[in-house]
Amino acid sequence: MRRILALFALVATVLAAGCQRESSGPVELTLQRFFGACDAEYGGSVDVSAAEGECGIITTLVNRFNAQNRDIHVKVNVVYWPGYDQLSAELAAGDPPDLVTMHQSVISDYSQRGLIAPLDAGLRSVGVDPAGFTPAARAGVMRGGRVYALPFDNWAMLWHVNLNLFRTAGLVRDGKPLMPHNPEELLAQARQFTHATGKPYLIQSMVNEPSAYARNLFTFLLQQDAGFFADPRHIKLQTPQAHRILQLFKQLYDEGLTTKNQDYTAATAAFLNGQGGVYLVGTWMIGAFDQAARQPGSPLAGGYAVVPYPQLYPARDATYADGHSWVVPTAQRSPQKTRAIFRLLRFLKDNDFAWSRTGHLPAYSAVIASARWRALPHRGDIAKLVDTAAPLAPGVQRQFLIQQIISEEMESAITGQKPIDTALADAERRVNDVLFNLL
Amino acid sequence: MEALDIPAAGREADVTVRRPWTASASETRAGLLFVAPYLAVFCLLLVYPLLSGIWLSLHKADLFGGSRFVGAENYVRLLHDDIFRQAVWNTCNFVILTVPALTVAGLALALALNTSSRWSAVLRGLFFSSSVLSVTIVTLVWRMVLIPDGGLVANLLALLHLPAIPFLSDARLALPAVAITTIWWCIGLPMMLFLAALQQVPKDLYEAAALDNAGWWRTLRRITLPSIRRTALVVVVIEVILQFQLFGQAQIMTLGGPNNASLPIVLFIYQIGFQRWDIGYAAAASEILFCIILVAAMAQFLASRGREDG
Repeated sequence: MRRILALFALVATVLAAGCQRESSGPVELTLQRFFGACDAEYGGSVDVSAAEGECGIITTLVNRFNAQNRDIHVKVNVVYWPGYDQLSAELAAGDPPDLVTMHQSVISDYSQRGLIAPLDAGLRSVGVDPAGFTPAARAGVMRGGRVYALPFDNWAMLWHVNLNLFRTAGLVRDGKPLMPHNPEELLAQARQFTHATGKPYLIQSMVNEPSAYARNLFTFLLQQDAGFFADPRHIKLQTPQAHRILQLFKQLYDEGLTTKNQDYTAATAAFLNGQGGVYLVGTWMIGAFDQAARQPGSPLAGGYAVVPYPQLYPARDATYADGHSWVVPTAQRSPQKTRAIFRLLRFLKDNDFAWSRTGHLPAYSAVIASARWRALPHRGDIAKLVDTAAPLAPGVQRQFLIQQIISEEMESAITGQKPIDTALADAERRVNDVLFNLL
Repeated sequence: MEALDIPAAGREADVTVRRPWTASASETRAGLLFVAPYLAVFCLLLVYPLLSGIWLSLHKADLFGGSRFVGAENYVRLLHDDIFRQAVWNTCNFVILTVPALTVAGLALALALNTSSRWSAVLRGLFFSSSVLSVTIVTLVWRMVLIPDGGLVANLLALLHLPAIPFLSDARLALPAVAITTIWWCIGLPMMLFLAALQQVPKDLYEAAALDNAGWWRTLRRITLPSIRRTALVVVVIEVILQFQLFGQAQIMTLGGPNNASLPIVLFIYQIGFQRWDIGYAAAASEILFCIILVAAMAQFLASRGREDG
């Protein structure tokens, strides 16, 4: 018995000593993010201006914050994209991280359940004014009049163009790619391109892709003012507008005007290798493709352009958009730790220009208005997204799951596994079932 | 034959019936204490979660609290859920694709490598080595083999001027592609179990067969297979239980697609629980999976016992 008591005393002493050491050292914050891992290249780097790509820039930013703030240590937990399953498990277990990357389309899921904290007062305490957010960023992070996240960017899918192949196809005027203005023009240009180059007009990631189809559908439904989410609990997809869009993509597929059976990696490699005209992918690839265009001998050398999705329908010029942001999961924290979190948020806000070098649209009007952002390659070509970027209504929950369901059903229709109307009916039924069964 | 003359004492000793073992109270207490740690852990980690899961499946429950009793509603929803029915079919189909293949291929490899040469030792290690890899590595390797855009199979077909096959994006091929990956990954365990069993078969049986001039096929059917039938049963039951729990391969290689053609039950449960947060519904699907596995494993077991009794 004495031995057991002695053992307990020893363990208690060690634990107490450990706690004491922790409280006297730097405040430790756990930051959970996606954007990949690149410690081999950037693990020790603090030079943000020299970093490239999402992973490089965010890794270097955190390194720099740690170097400049010796009283705080940010421990990074990199999750597999998008990481929400892991976050949900951590929240359910009562062990959330201190700061998490979150898509603006996902914020409603967590804010409505009180799982993430409103940040208004904390942001004010470090001098971050929501009035400085761009309208798109503000709409993305505000729910019920409260700010639930610090916006980091807005992003949208874009048409990344191989200008060299477009020239061969006679689809360049004044150094700019010719964009279609309606579905018929799109098909005509695609046929012209494929006839002239022998390559597909579109490059699409179609395999293992949970969201690309849905983003295309949302964009072209928005352009038709289809009102497919008039009520956040009900989607309406059995409409002529949705049918038209699926018919268009099916025709591109059936006529061989798009790549087939490629996953994200293969589609990206195909574009870099000049195997098609237009790659449908997001803002985050601008930097990588621009870099490739500067490499002599690259199929993109001197021939890369990027533009927002063309307006194919007359009702409205719109592109479905989302954004990355930083949220703080609800948890008991010491005032010291809370202050550290907001200092980090302030640092991230101050470095939004560095982040915008990834290609994403800045979340702050001042950065967009700055000459240095405009001077970045291709930014002038996509700047109109500030006005045309359109997210779904903030009340729509489970948007990632909804995108996955719609993409599955669209893929079935486009590849001919289901009739278009059946796929649309199935997508509508499945999405509404998800929304009906929300607690 | 002349009867042996057994001494009377010996006969007495032979017919002595041992009294049934009866324990004193202190022995019973000691016995219970002896098994108590195991029973406690068993109840905590198996019985309680099982009962808790059944109770949860009778609720409309959210991942973050808030639940109400709905009785069998989740089960009724599942029966009417096309995606779940497809997941059940996919999973059964996957088990049919993999378990016989794993059993037969495992046995074939074990028979081929049941020698004491250095090469067979090397090959045993080689065939078993895939089993130690994580699902992530295995699926990455096989994606590189199967993808139509620069994959190994596509390149080989290109040499023969044949078009690439979209293994992972064709609804008819996705599940077989996952099955092939799984067989490659899991072949090590059945092979090792069969090897262990083969090495237990008495050598004198083979010597007797050789003296009787029995051929390889006859020896296999009359000596080897009957001698390892219990191991074969173990392999089948283990593999049925394992393959019904298909998850990682489908999650990484196909995300359950295309058109849910390779969606297994566990991935369905995962999506419902963690993406829809509808854990009552996910728990109901889990209970159905539990029943399917239980029935399949018991059916194997009973069928095998019936043959032995017969």
